[in-house]
Amino acid sequence: MSAHIRPARARTYAIPAVVLLLLLLAPAVIRNEYYLHVLVGVLFSAYLASAWNIVCGYTGQLSLGHAALCGIGGYISTLLFINIGLSPWVGMFLGASCATAAGVFVGYPCFRLRGPYFALTTIAFAEILRIWVDNTEEVFGVELRGAQGIMVPLKGQSPWLFQFTSKVPYYYIIIAMLLVVMAVTFWMERSRMGFYLKAIRADQDAAEALGINSTRYLLTAMALSSFLTALGGSFYAQYFRYINPERNMGLDLSIEVALMGIVGGQGTVLGPVLGAFLLTPAGEISRGFLGGKLMGLHLVIYGLVLVLAVLFLPKGLIQPIRQFFRRDSGGAQGPPGTAGRQDTRAPAA
Amino acid sequence: MDPIILGVAVVNGILLGGLYGAVALGLSLIFGVMRVINFAHGTFLMFGLFIPYWLWQLFGINPYVSVLVAAPILFAVGYGVQATIIAPLFKRERAMVLEPLSVLLLTAGVGLILDNLTLMAFGPNVRAVQVRFASTSLWIGETLSINVPRLIAFVASVAIAVALSLFLSRTDLGRSIRSTAQNRDAAALCGINVPQIYNITFGLGCAVLGIVGCVMVPFYYVSPTVGLAFGVKSFIIVVLGGIGSIPGSILGGLILGIVESITAQFVTATSAATFSFLIFILVLFFRPTGLMGLKV
Amino acid sequence: MKRLLCGIGICLVVLALSSLTAVAGEKVDEVRIGIVVPLSGIGATVGTQMKTGATIAIEEINAKGGIKALGGAKLRLIAGDSQGKPDVGASETERLIQRENVHVMIGSYQSATTIVTTEVAERYKTPWVVLASVSDRITGRGFKYVFRPCNMAAYDANEQLQAIKHLTQEFGKGPKTYGLLVEGTEWGKSHAENVRRIAKEIGYDLVLDEAYPPGQADFSPQILKIRSKRPDFLIMAMYTPDHILFNKQQMEQRLDLAFGLHSVGSGAEDPAFYKALPVQAVEYMFVQEDFQIDITDVAPWTQAIDKKTREMLGYELNAYVAQGYSNAYIIADALERAGSADKDKIRDALAKTNITSGPALITGYQKIAFDATGQNVDSHGVISENLKGKRTTVWPVANRPKGIKPVWPIPAWKDR
Repeated sequence: MSAHIRPARARTYAIPAVVLLLLLLAPAVIRNEYYLHVLVGVLFSAYLASAWNIVCGYTGQLSLGHAALCGIGGYISTLLFINIGLSPWVGMFLGASCATAAGVFVGYPCFRLRGPYFALTTIAFAEILRIWVDNTEEVFGVELRGAQGIMVPLKGQSPWLFQFTSKVPYYYIIIAMLLVVMAVTFWMERSRMGFYLKAIRADQDAAEALGINSTRYLLTAMALSSFLTALGGSFYAQYFRYINPERNMGLDLSIEVALMGIVGGQGTVLGPVLGAFLLTPAGEISRGFLGGKLMGLHLVIYGLVLVLAVLFLPKGLIQPIRQFFRRDSGGAQGPPGTAGRQDTRAPAA
Repeated sequence: MDPIILGVAVVNGILLGGLYGAVALGLSLIFGVMRVINFAHGTFLMFGLFIPYWLWQLFGINPYVSVLVAAPILFAVGYGVQATIIAPLFKRERAMVLEPLSVLLLTAGVGLILDNLTLMAFGPNVRAVQVRFASTSLWIGETLSINVPRLIAFVASVAIAVALSLFLSRTDLGRSIRSTAQNRDAAALCGINVPQIYNITFGLGCAVLGIVGCVMVPFYYVSPTVGLAFGVKSFIIVVLGGIGSIPGSILGGLILGIVESITAQFVTATSAATFSFLIFILVLFFRPTGLMGLKV
Repeated sequence: MKRLLCGIGICLVVLALSSLTAVAGEKVDEVRIGIVVPLSGIGATVGTQMKTGATIAIEEINAKGGIKALGGAKLRLIAGDSQGKPDVGASETERLIQRENVHVMIGSYQSATTIVTTEVAERYKTPWVVLASVSDRITGRGFKYVFRPCNMAAYDANEQLQAIKHLTQEFGKGPKTYGLLVEGTEWGKSHAENVRRIAKEIGYDLVLDEAYPPGQADFSPQILKIRSKRPDFLIMAMYTPDHILFNKQQMEQRLDLAFGLHSVGSGAEDPAFYKALPVQAVEYMFVQEDFQIDITDVAPWTQAIDKKTREMLGYELNAYVAQGYSNAYIIADALERAGSADKDKIRDALAKTNITSGPALITGYQKIAFDATGQNVDSHGVISENLKGKRTTVWPVANRPKGIKPVWPIPAWKDR
């Protein structure tokens, strides 16, 4: 059996390619910085959701502590910048390495737990980190400023320091980052590791009985996910120029990220991206039109979108789209009723 | 550390812990029977606080009397939410690996909707019930004062736990619930209407919150965001005490309350929360079934 | 589904088209004021109060004929909900500036949010008049477009301690030690930092330094600690729900502090707080108010606004309503002097603000003028003491109503 599985339809890639092209050209047409800002926000969410998906979508575990990894990345790159002047371009990789170490360190004992226990433990670890940062003014002489958060010094247009006055460079950077994550996911999905992860996800005990070293693969996925998530944290720090434990390591962010991954479709390359594209604008639009008028109405709508998505698209937004492509390819690829259940069949179409 | 201070801290921790345990009871039940992490748990507690508040505000009804109204209303709400919103997910998820996770999201969404509908309806203001006896305290010596409503809440918490335990072990319905918790399919084969049991369980879990809310409202406050702080604590307690174990829930609550109270004497309260999480993690790693839980 | 992808394509096209049709110039029959405050989540009560104050002021200004220097242009308030989160606040700021084309902005209550939103405004060269955020960092960044009429955090702390010092002189008896009990996030902790610094200069000894996580259900541990360390007075920084709980419990447990409780406001400035508690729970408590709470006694013209506030919100005029009201008048004043809706001209006019009378002073200051950093150095709060259920201004003495004598030191519970 080949380690790499050939993709079925060129058409499957045509549409995303067109969308990508439109996105790349967008700044030429869209002058209004607010819309660019919204797009950056959507793409950033898609990025985080996709990075989250690398471990959670493919292992079947639900991590609700990913914000901590994001926060580690953001804090470290920012602290390095403020204290020793290290460019965030370098700092972000150092931050990501720390986050990877943290992720693996926490993941190792946690992966023994199943289902909701795993989720709750990730919350606990993330909260411990957040509370610690919240309460620490300085550590080893480095100012953390606790709950007050850190501001990234405004340097104006300094590409070498990862700061730009216009949104457009950030826009392209986040697109690039998103493409990297999607490529990593794509590669992983179709590699031996991806294959083993599917087995582990379907039934961990059976997989281990077959000789699969689940710990090794789970931790590798965790490492990849942590690394990429932390890079996102650095991006956030450079874009908003302010980070604090509440927002950047908090449960809210973890839940938002997980939401997009699940609503969009876990365990797929495009799923989290779709989830982000649906939920982020839904939040923005409902807040934009309703936020100022009736208190909290936009959150009701957001919640409603969430509930409907979970009820009617349980495998994620990606499912109806996949079904569309399967139908269109001129005949079922497998027994009827299995379309969309791509996690239980080995050589996927 | 002054032993008197320590003693007082322990007593405070016990009083608060009992309450935490009662709040977590409903979650433990729902979790134990249906494996649902109910992210809307805090929201239902908020309802449980609002109902006696409005009854007091509009009709001057004593919160303790409001239990007769709050518990049935919350039972109905819980039952309804489970029957209409969550049940369809169960039907679909039957064979899938993802079972508990979508429900988690669903309850989160429901919680978000209900929280903000309440915000829209009542506004964000913090309110409180003022009943005359609310400030009476029992004094033991010069330093230890026990606030009477908190004491009543503690007693009520224990009473609820006992009543629930008896219900589960002695009545037919209770036994049906327990068997469904142990093995859903076997229970179905025995002729138990599993979806109905789920509805009732969810309703029960919420009804408990109704009672707890009524005994809390004399000394606590009411606002649309009031449930949030209890939400996460409840999860910790449920795991600590053991999924599906009623006495475990109270025990877990007591432990959490005492730990919080004592550590707050040594470090600032914000850092003390770290200890709660640490204990939670340790229990999960070394005794995942919790202190008194059923095997998962 | 094909529809979804078509939908995405159409969205992009629509976005592109709408940006092309964005109006370049400003319409000067209307000046748009953007407000970004929390309208949901924990800060929602205060955000609403600020929005209400601004709304009342704008209605008044429009009723009197709008901005005369702009030919009677009307003011319009456009609101954005920050949800109490900095990045959401930033998004809303972007939206108001870019899509709604506001000319000037106000907000955002929570300092963490304001730090970020003002930076966005600065980048877009949109003037911003701060609402209630006290963090020193907001005016400490060399920004040109940010103006703060209200107190900086350092002022709050200073006022609390100056009042104590003054009362000590007035009565000949004073404290030696103190304790701090603050909420554990940005505001509480930065206030504690300021208090520690100033108290050290004056010479008070810190015996208790406590931060608690917001949303705590029981303050018994802290009350216990306070009892064992026995500070002469306690400085508190708490939001409404925690403040309610704490005051209730210190009353139940009969906590005695020789020189009383000193709250720096927020929770203790919220009318909901007083509604929720019996009088004994708040008696003799000192509150640093960003606003003179008994101003309706001292300045009768404020009674009309108090009435309007009661109609709209169900309770009386408070610091946050007053600030929203005041900010709108500060902007109107700047517009009249600028004679233009151009953002830079508004900014320059704001920088030259010198208000010594009029509705903008509803906050109780004697003057509003901004220094080079954008801070109103004449802003000050007042310290009130709760006497017989009424918050009465006791400091500065100039603001004290006639015939009022503060109670100092504070009687023990058994003597009340």
